[in-house]
Amino acid sequence: MAQPVLMPKMGQSVEECVIVKWRCKDGDKVKKGDILFEIETEKAVLEVESFYEGTLLKVLVSQGQAAHVGATVAFIGQPGEPLPAVTAAAVPAPVAAPAVSAPAASTPVAKPVTVAATPAISVPAPVMAPVPAPATAPSRMFISPRARALVEHSAISATRIKGSGPNGRIVEKDVQGYLDAHNYASLRISPAAKALAIKEKIDVLSVTASGDGGRIMVGDVERSLKERPKAMSKMRQIIAQRLTQSVVTSPHFFVTVEVDMTDLLEYRKELKQKNLQYSVTDFILEAVVLALMESPGVNSSTDGKSAWWHSSVHLGMAASIADGLVVPVIRHAEKLSLKELHDTAADLAARARDGKLMPDEMSGSTFTVSNMGMLNVENFTAIINPGEGAILAVSSTNEKPVVRKGQIVVRSIMKITLSSDHRLIDGAVAARFANTIKTKLEDVELWKSLT
Amino acid sequence: MEKFDVIVIGAGPGGYPAAIRSAQLGASVAIVEKEYAGGTCLNWGCIATKSLIACSDLFAHIKRAQSFGIETGKLSYDYAAMSRRKNDVVSKLRGGVEGLLKANKVTVFKGTASFVDRQHVTVTAADGTQTALETKATIIASGSTSAVPGFLPKNERVMESRAFLELTKLPASLLVLGGGVIGCEFACMAAQLGVKVTVVELLSDILMMVDADVRNELRRHMEAMGIRVLTGKALEKVEATAKEVKGQFGDETLTADMLLVSVGRRPVTAELKLENVGIAVSKAGFIPVDDFGRTTAASIFAIGDVTGIAQLAHAATSQGVTAAENAVNPKKRKMDKLVPACIFTSPEIGSVGLTEQQAKEKGLTVKTGKFGFAHLGKAMAAGETNGFVKWVADASTGQLLGAHAVGLHATELISEATAAVRAELTAEELGRTIHCHPTLSETWMEAAHALLGHCIHAPPARR
Repeated sequence: MAQPVLMPKMGQSVEECVIVKWRCKDGDKVKKGDILFEIETEKAVLEVESFYEGTLLKVLVSQGQAAHVGATVAFIGQPGEPLPAVTAAAVPAPVAAPAVSAPAASTPVAKPVTVAATPAISVPAPVMAPVPAPATAPSRMFISPRARALVEHSAISATRIKGSGPNGRIVEKDVQGYLDAHNYASLRISPAAKALAIKEKIDVLSVTASGDGGRIMVGDVERSLKERPKAMSKMRQIIAQRLTQSVVTSPHFFVTVEVDMTDLLEYRKELKQKNLQYSVTDFILEAVVLALMESPGVNSSTDGKSAWWHSSVHLGMAASIADGLVVPVIRHAEKLSLKELHDTAADLAARARDGKLMPDEMSGSTFTVSNMGMLNVENFTAIINPGEGAILAVSSTNEKPVVRKGQIVVRSIMKITLSSDHRLIDGAVAARFANTIKTKLEDVELWKSLT
Repeated sequence: MEKFDVIVIGAGPGGYPAAIRSAQLGASVAIVEKEYAGGTCLNWGCIATKSLIACSDLFAHIKRAQSFGIETGKLSYDYAAMSRRKNDVVSKLRGGVEGLLKANKVTVFKGTASFVDRQHVTVTAADGTQTALETKATIIASGSTSAVPGFLPKNERVMESRAFLELTKLPASLLVLGGGVIGCEFACMAAQLGVKVTVVELLSDILMMVDADVRNELRRHMEAMGIRVLTGKALEKVEATAKEVKGQFGDETLTADMLLVSVGRRPVTAELKLENVGIAVSKAGFIPVDDFGRTTAASIFAIGDVTGIAQLAHAATSQGVTAAENAVNPKKRKMDKLVPACIFTSPEIGSVGLTEQQAKEKGLTVKTGKFGFAHLGKAMAAGETNGFVKWVADASTGQLLGAHAVGLHATELISEATAAVRAELTAEELGRTIHCHPTLSETWMEAAHALLGHCIHAPPARR
């Protein structure tokens, strides 16, 4: 009997997913474990494997469409087998169709869920509002068939042509006048470039020429094509939305302190010789966890009306991936030993790079660390992850001349900058918290006791 | 210390045009050459080999004279005389290049150039005397040299192409290691003169960069000429004695009087002292340049074989002219990238732009159109009906992306196709362009018609 392929549940909060790509098509043979399709949730693109062996009989939810979790998206069985009746599983896809004209400016900003009543709820996850597809064609244009044919044949856009006919209808004479006004007759374009412009509806009058004597070449038309607005990936749209929301709603302020990493780096070398592998990030994460336990005000959230403290540290670590960033979360970081913290962080980072994180592993953080230490930066500020009170930006460690006991000495200095939500955290709290992290990182005895 | 606006290192087909173009633009120019003007191309490459191939081609033609109704009697040739003729052609052309340099007031320094810093170059002559020069800009055109892998025995029966060209007597049998352009050209030339030739190529086929249809056609003809073409395995355990060379190809032991090594060419950079100007060569030893021919060191340009862009004399010439203009003029121009390739095998090969395989690898949807010389009046009249031409075009716009020819005068025919591809013509336009009848060039028009599905001189395509 034909087996239904169901949209898998990708985490607590995910109710529907978009199929961004089918890897097989109707009639393809599939084996157990073959990747059937890719889905995009609010957090990541994930691959879905087949549980069955057989032939992909019918795809019910096609590429670009969304389906509810648990819905049947396809059937696998033997060729010729009858398919059980199902109701249409697809729901309107929230992804934007590739924009053809200018990007739609009307995208509504998603509203965060209000969390007022139950402060115990973790982070107010933003709800993804369906992004309306930008209009694929401008509103109806009045143009005569002959005029339209001339527009198309000339590879120009009619949007800027003023119509002289009844109701502003564009007639052939208007197009000809427009062409003359733009000196179209002297336009030089290679035959293939023109064919491509006609096919892709590129206005050749807007193309910058690079060929000999100002001739428009295929490469020039291709460049114009690349300049067209394209819909961002769902991940980027989410990033855009969340970061804008954060900057707009929470008043950020920044506190920077310098951490002297010299002794800790020395000690790390000793550990390495004993074959104990810790990264600098591990020490920073641990120092942050310890500091958060001492400064509950920082491990908190607010919506501007209420503020609530989190008893656990769910530590987000910003990780850069292809075309975006994700924030995997180390849960109950305060309960982990340094070794466990290291293992968890390494595992999450590796899976983030491979795109194998589940949505649940990327939500619910109470504080985030963004580390650009390996990117050779002097100092930077981070934008608070929505729902959190603060974020720590960690910059590169560099050898610097500093004054110690009245002497100029060379030390390994790392700048850390705390971005805080001023609705929740005041300057003194932020300064104290930043300095607590600094003190911990500079205290080698502490690290000896933890390793 | 003598001061120049431009110093060109190497007087090959890239270097001497660069020097002349710089001089035309009003610069004071020096050129440094350690051997002969004209470089590899003129002395031990293009011109030298084409002189010999003209002899072998003519010999092969005369052998077929009877089929044209011409009686010749018993045929024989004198390779030493062929070689002398080659030397005459080479020295005449070399004199021409030297004359042009002189006429353009380019100062020629004999010796090896090396950088002291970005503004200073030292020329070391054969006798060890050194001349210090100062310059505003430098164009490196030091070229390449045959690669001879270390596992090959050092023996007079083992030689690369340059030494082979010095021969005054051909061996009775020849083993060619490497089925690239040089290997295949020498194999065809020697086979036409009656040498028993075996070509061994490590890759799955000879001339892998050439369109698959074209190389299949060539391979068929080479084999018909009596050349053994062995591919897909390495030549191992190469030994050379006073009498013969031996090598192992799989289970078979190959023996011959001589081994020609043609496994590629390495850039010549060792004596330039590039470290003094902060230029780092690539993994393969080439000098990286940008679209304008600039190296990573400001005011130093590199062109030709030493850049690894295309090991073709005409590419070097075009780059040399552009680099000279960029060295002298403040407004920079990009180097032309569309480089046609010519291979003087029997039959000849010409190609430009993308092969069908390359276009597909780029994700393009292509249409191809092919027309064989067997259906062409002129080819039949000339008694040369081997080969074909082939267009590769973008399926949606009809843009001609590549052209490939194999057959009589393919290396001449490719120039029309090059102009068409560069001008971004479509198959339709090329097909509407009137071509002279009866000529070999007509094949381009016919092949364009074939691509569009309305070829007059071919039966309708089977569905």
